[in-house]
Amino acid sequence: MMNLFINTVQLLILVLAAPLLRGVISKLKAWIQKRQGASVWRPYADLWKLLHKEELVPNTATVVFRLAPVIGFAVTVAAAAFLPLLHPAALLSLDGDIFIFVYLLAMSRFVMSLGALDGGSAFGGMGSSREALVAALAESPLFLVLTALAILAKTGSLSEIAGWTIGQNFFDVSTVHILAFVALAIVTVAETGRIPVDNPTTHLELTMIHEAMVLEYSGPSLALIEWSQAIKLHLLAALMISLFAPWGMSLAASPVGLASALGLYAVKLACLVIGLAIVESSVAKLRMYVVPDFLRVAWALAILAVIFTAITKR
Amino acid sequence: MSEFLLVLFLWSLPLTVMVACVAGGRRLVRKLIPGFLLGALLLGLAIAGHSFLSGKTVNVDWSDHLPFALGFALDRLSGFFLLLICAVAIPVVLFSTSYAGHYSSAKWRWYWCPLFILSMVSVVVASTVFAFMLGWELMTVLSAGLILIEGDAEDRRRSLFIYLAMMHVGAAAVLASFLLFVPHAPTLTFEAMRAGGGGLPAHLRPVIFLLSFVGFGTKAGIVPLHFWLPKAHAIAPSPVSALMSAVMLKTAIYGFVRLTFDILGTPQAWWGYVVLGAGIATAVLGILYALGEHTLKRLLAYSSIENIGLIYVGIGLALIFQGRGLPVLAGLSLIAALFHALNHALFKGLLFLGAGAVYKSTNTLNMEELGGLLPRLPGIGISFLIGCAAIAGLPLLNGFVSEWLIFKSLLNGSALEPIPALPLLIGAVALAGTLACACFVKVFGITFLGRPRSDRAKYAKSAPENMDVSLLILAAACILLGLHPGVALYPISTLVGTLIPNATAPPEIAAISRAMPLVAAVVLVALVLALRLRKRASRRVETWACGLPGLTGRMQYTATSFSKPLRSVFTAVYKPERHVDIEPAGQPYFPATISYRSVRTTSFEKTLYRPTVDLVVAAARQLRRFHTGNIQTYLLYIFLMILALLLVLRFA
Repeated sequence: MMNLFINTVQLLILVLAAPLLRGVISKLKAWIQKRQGASVWRPYADLWKLLHKEELVPNTATVVFRLAPVIGFAVTVAAAAFLPLLHPAALLSLDGDIFIFVYLLAMSRFVMSLGALDGGSAFGGMGSSREALVAALAESPLFLVLTALAILAKTGSLSEIAGWTIGQNFFDVSTVHILAFVALAIVTVAETGRIPVDNPTTHLELTMIHEAMVLEYSGPSLALIEWSQAIKLHLLAALMISLFAPWGMSLAASPVGLASALGLYAVKLACLVIGLAIVESSVAKLRMYVVPDFLRVAWALAILAVIFTAITKR
Repeated sequence: MSEFLLVLFLWSLPLTVMVACVAGGRRLVRKLIPGFLLGALLLGLAIAGHSFLSGKTVNVDWSDHLPFALGFALDRLSGFFLLLICAVAIPVVLFSTSYAGHYSSAKWRWYWCPLFILSMVSVVVASTVFAFMLGWELMTVLSAGLILIEGDAEDRRRSLFIYLAMMHVGAAAVLASFLLFVPHAPTLTFEAMRAGGGGLPAHLRPVIFLLSFVGFGTKAGIVPLHFWLPKAHAIAPSPVSALMSAVMLKTAIYGFVRLTFDILGTPQAWWGYVVLGAGIATAVLGILYALGEHTLKRLLAYSSIENIGLIYVGIGLALIFQGRGLPVLAGLSLIAALFHALNHALFKGLLFLGAGAVYKSTNTLNMEELGGLLPRLPGIGISFLIGCAAIAGLPLLNGFVSEWLIFKSLLNGSALEPIPALPLLIGAVALAGTLACACFVKVFGITFLGRPRSDRAKYAKSAPENMDVSLLILAAACILLGLHPGVALYPISTLVGTLIPNATAPPEIAAISRAMPLVAAVVLVALVLALRLRKRASRRVETWACGLPGLTGRMQYTATSFSKPLRSVFTAVYKPERHVDIEPAGQPYFPATISYRSVRTTSFEKTLYRPTVDLVVAAARQLRRFHTGNIQTYLLYIFLMILALLLVLRFA
């Protein structure tokens, strides 16, 4: 019962704190650019505003256009249910859930791409075509990264991998971990549409990927899309933390342990976010046809990570 | 009792044809034929389900009354595949009732279709080599006949010729692999072969395996033997394509599993690596070719190749694990392969029937001319969407469960050896999976969503009545097996237990059967919450056109432009030949006309098939010298042959 409660809280943190993460990133970027920047709570206000607006639907749109944001949101939340955060257990967990996790994210992309094509303009097709390119090349390294860790931990469950890693000395697993971490970082940037793969603030047709997909959406549907996009970023960040630095998770379900786990999680997340803000402020967006080369780096690193599991002491 | 029912079922299919022939033109009776056929298939479904679930073996042997060994048997494995055939054939027949009618050829289709189904049935229930090969050859000939009914233009005949030629090569290899059993099982019944299989010399077993791999692989469409598949499947009438792609390919899987696991037994690990390598290559190349297509049925045919690849990955893993003495892991892989075979039959049948409905209402299968069909074909569109999602392997649908099992099997391979060779292949299978996602976003998005791209799509007729019923049945099956995979997984696991000694039920089956409803519950809760959040009025407006009036269907992305980024990344696979002609040549910036052509002949055609065909033709030309047309010469040949045989008999 206690565990169920903690797991639900974990899920709620992942879902509800996601907009805050976005707010913090844009605040950090503003600081780096010597600007005041908007409040970190701004994304919540945006969501509130969008949810209370009237929705405009293109005249060609069908039920697919209307349902896509809802389904995309629901499956992203379902993916969040597999992630351990405060303790090495999650609401849903089974041996092999790493594949379910990735496929749930893929499902959200599938429905969003269809929603984009339903708008009937050139932008939607452009967005989903480019998204398909990025996803096709980014997803395999993600699978391989998770596979490498699963081989090390001898289990295919995210929670159990986290639980196993807590008991390890960092230097025993560092070979695989460093390779896999870098690969996962590249994949995260690509999957969540951040610089240098995609620019979340652009609306220039030559460069946009994700924004082109959601161009026709407005009002509450746009709110759901923005929110699921924020959850996805939070999910992948939390995935990095739980897989590569789970130290500090509460092993016993004590209030103090959980509180300190939450605090530590916030600190680790802050480190990741600072890194992302620095990268986004200092690197230019890549040209569309250079993105595959960038992702090939992730491929190479992920393959090496899997191979190096062979020489790691188990 | 069961024997009687099996015989009744086997006879009911040709009886349907006889009724059809006798009834001839009388319309009332002709309406009864589909009903008759459906009844027969339901009977088949019942006896197949009974054998598959209870494991009771039913034997019918007519060998004593006939000059050749003709017998049929129904065990768990046959039951499973018979179930698959009937489960897909029923919706297909339902669909045909509304699909046919407009053609004068419809009559012929009703004559041939039951026989085609009978041939596939006889392949999976055969208990002797004679019965098997009889069904196997009839299957080829009858499907070719069904293709010819739609027309016999020059290009169709050409495609058909390639189909028949390759099928004969495949059948020869299959027959050869069976005939190698003769010294140890002279009667050539499967039972005798199973018993005599142990006596086979060690050097013969790999030969039998490789022959059956090539033979069944040709029928299944393994790369590079897949060449005929998109040609033949694309030109058949849609219900027949559905049967060919969803069911006929599975008979090859049946034959391969029957021969390697059941009859031959005790495989070596390297067999598995051969099958696995072929499977991976087939999966990735198949989906890449599918992505480059923009004719709906050709695309679906290439996607069948990908799925056959995934099934072969499962079979290959099972062989590897069994060869290494890990029966439980082998069991999991074979379960994955068989379950994927069932799933592919369901969703590919659905998709081909959907393509048929699209053709019916727009008269084209070229995706560049389609678009915006969902409002005109709502029932068909929604079930087609479910089929697309299932084949893309999205969670909560059946395709995901079998792909998950394949991933899990590959991951289990890390237990095998220090170098994680099998887990590395997860990357390749994942690539095939994401490309399949992209491919089916394209299929559904370009065909059914957005604006119509041509008048054909704009003025699409609504589908005939009840056409969507059969699609909805298949879609429901996809959802059921996705949400509650245990229904099929537990019986399949029992079936696999009979094929692989000591293969107890792997724990993954219980895990995934428990997990999928839970995932569905979480998704449902989030879905309801999200829908409650969004309760606001919506207003219909013009699509944003950058402030300019008049968006047209031609301004949208097309099927070709959708796949362009991915095609440019995988240029090495497609090897397109581009020709750009600019007139006049001297003025690159202000040309009068530019013409652009891009031709894609697959590299297999150029580097493998063309040289082989040339070689065969050259050999035939040499052989022609013996054919003088002079009867005395032929008599001399016969005399020399008899002499040679006598000498062989004397000294051998």
